[in-house]
Amino acid sequence: MNYGRELLKGNTDSLLLCLISREPTYGYQIVKELETRSNGYFQFKEGTLYPALHRLERDNLITGKWQILPNGQQRRYYYITEKGQQVLANKLATWQDFASAVKSVIQTETT
Amino acid sequence: MVSSISHYLNRFKACLKIDHTIRDDVAEELSTHLEDKIQELEENGLSKEEAGKIAVQSLGSPELIAQQIYETHAQGSWKEALFSALPHFLVALLFALYFYWHNLIWLSIVLILTVGMAIYGWHRGKPIWLFPWLGYYLIPVVVTGILLLSLPQGWGWIAALIYIPLALFVFIYIVRQTARRDWLYASLMLAPMLVIFSWFSSLGTGNRLLSSDWIAGLQTNALWIVISFIALAGATIAFIRLKPRRYKILSLLIPPLVILFSVTMASRGNIDSRGWLILLFSLFAFATPVWMQARAYQ
Repeated sequence: MNYGRELLKGNTDSLLLCLISREPTYGYQIVKELETRSNGYFQFKEGTLYPALHRLERDNLITGKWQILPNGQQRRYYYITEKGQQVLANKLATWQDFASAVKSVIQTETT
Repeated sequence: MVSSISHYLNRFKACLKIDHTIRDDVAEELSTHLEDKIQELEENGLSKEEAGKIAVQSLGSPELIAQQIYETHAQGSWKEALFSALPHFLVALLFALYFYWHNLIWLSIVLILTVGMAIYGWHRGKPIWLFPWLGYYLIPVVVTGILLLSLPQGWGWIAALIYIPLALFVFIYIVRQTARRDWLYASLMLAPMLVIFSWFSSLGTGNRLLSSDWIAGLQTNALWIVISFIALAGATIAFIRLKPRRYKILSLLIPPLVILFSVTMASRGNIDSRGWLILLFSLFAFATPVWMQARAYQ
């Protein structure tokens, strides 16, 4: 498997929780946000997003609610829960420690 | 365009064997995703047909999404697993305490609990744990048919000829209703019947049924009967907790193996022709949904 894909797979939950924690959002908007914020780096089969969202919802990290938009269309908005915020904080702390450790090692190697 | 979207969603729904309310909800979510994608592509100058085609492609295989969603929802909680296995544990307890076999209080408690749980489950949207409880309700339907065959001087066959088609209709109707949700739930529901009728067949039927010898046989084989129900409870817990469908199918194969082994050990191969008939019917009723599912899975 592609290394970049593996990294994305291992961090999908953190990315989704991070986006949802900023503002309640729905599936298609999440795909677009991921693409925009990563300058097109995160591109994947869009359908794989929904199993991930449902897994997070099953684990009570997010909650989904149908909402009617002003144009009459319905969208399922996801909200982060208290538990989700705690999990996200832990994941971000771990990620930052990991990233700075990797960076330190790489910088030592290259200098 | 509409047909390609509905075709995609139909393929998705056909593969997703979960509670229909959740299934319809996810399908609706995918549908809104496709609408958004198509709208964006059309704004970029694509035709409706092209936009629909690309939108469906970018969403990916409906079978794969269905499989991943299934694995998310297919794994029941430990609470659901214990609720599902509880009726088997209760029956095992009943046999384990076979000294209380004639005690109506024990029997009443188990019956009230079973009826209460089934009513509760029915009004809670038929959760997965309800099916093993429902299985115990089908048993009296079949037992009555067998008892009718024991009536003297040919009356048994006359009564059975009227009753058996009616009982079969009820039986097939309930199994079909359950199988519409998922074939595997039908097997899970029929599993208690497999255990009880396997023991029925090994202890003797016909005029000997419910005789003092038969009750004595139950008490003599209480340990093996307890092992059968505990194996069933274990298989039920595994079924609820396992995620991949193929493992769920495998977990359903445990009870028949344990039961056949314990029945053979207890009866030492001394089963009459009617007993074999009941045993084969139980195995057939239990195995058909698993086989149908395995075929659909392939």
